[in-house]
Amino acid sequence: MSVIVDAGGLSCPQPVLMTLDKIKEMGKGEIIIKVDTDTSKENVSRAAQSQSWDVADIKENETGYTLTIKKE
Amino acid sequence: MSFFKRLTSRKKKTETSCKADRGILVFEHTSEVIKAESILKKAGWNIRVMGPPPEIRSGCDLVIEIPLIEKLNILRTLENIGTSPMEIVPVSSPLLQPVDLFQNKDFGKYLMIRAANMKLTVEKETQTIVNISGGGCPDVPYLASKMVGMSLNEAPSPREIGHTLCGYALQLAYEEMKRR
Repeated sequence: MSVIVDAGGLSCPQPVLMTLDKIKEMGKGEIIIKVDTDTSKENVSRAAQSQSWDVADIKENETGYTLTIKKE
Repeated sequence: MSFFKRLTSRKKKTETSCKADRGILVFEHTSEVIKAESILKKAGWNIRVMGPPPEIRSGCDLVIEIPLIEKLNILRTLENIGTSPMEIVPVSSPLLQPVDLFQNKDFGKYLMIRAANMKLTVEKETQTIVNISGGGCPDVPYLASKMVGMSLNEAPSPREIGHTLCGYALQLAYEEMKRR
């Protein structure tokens, strides 16, 4: 089951820090992160990859982006 | 060090400290300023990176302030590394500090330092760089890709791998973070 991190409306580095906290808490699994800027999307993706999580999906929507990251 | 070298290095400090006859080196690209600053500081010159006076300012420029009396020696040092300024201008009005303001934000486990338009965030416990953002310069994604996930001590210095004013600002944030 996925966990959702809603970082919409927050500026960097907060979306990254929220994602990292969730990554550390879970260790593995699937996290869905909502962000609203290109910069946050890039920074969250980079942070996830630096922790050996895969960016499985990025969807653009009206309010920004929804990223799905995974680690098995 | 020979007697002659000691004499000239003492003279260098005296001339700089009294700020007589200052001049600025104007380069075509910020990356050249960053490179020249690194080389001149390594060579022992007391120089500073500054913003140019308003009358010659054309955007986000940086210049290097030098003691004019040492112009020829400094130019020779730069020629040796294949870099030459476009212009050497005597300073007749105040220079602007390119970055004179640091801001910190403590997120508990993480510390962010902002220098001008660049933000560097580090996990306090491990000293790992967790985020680099800000700027809008083309080399920011590259800088982030090279530095995020590495510890402050392992990460390459932005001065070495950056090419823009953002790289320069990130270097200041990086030095300030290391100093803490």
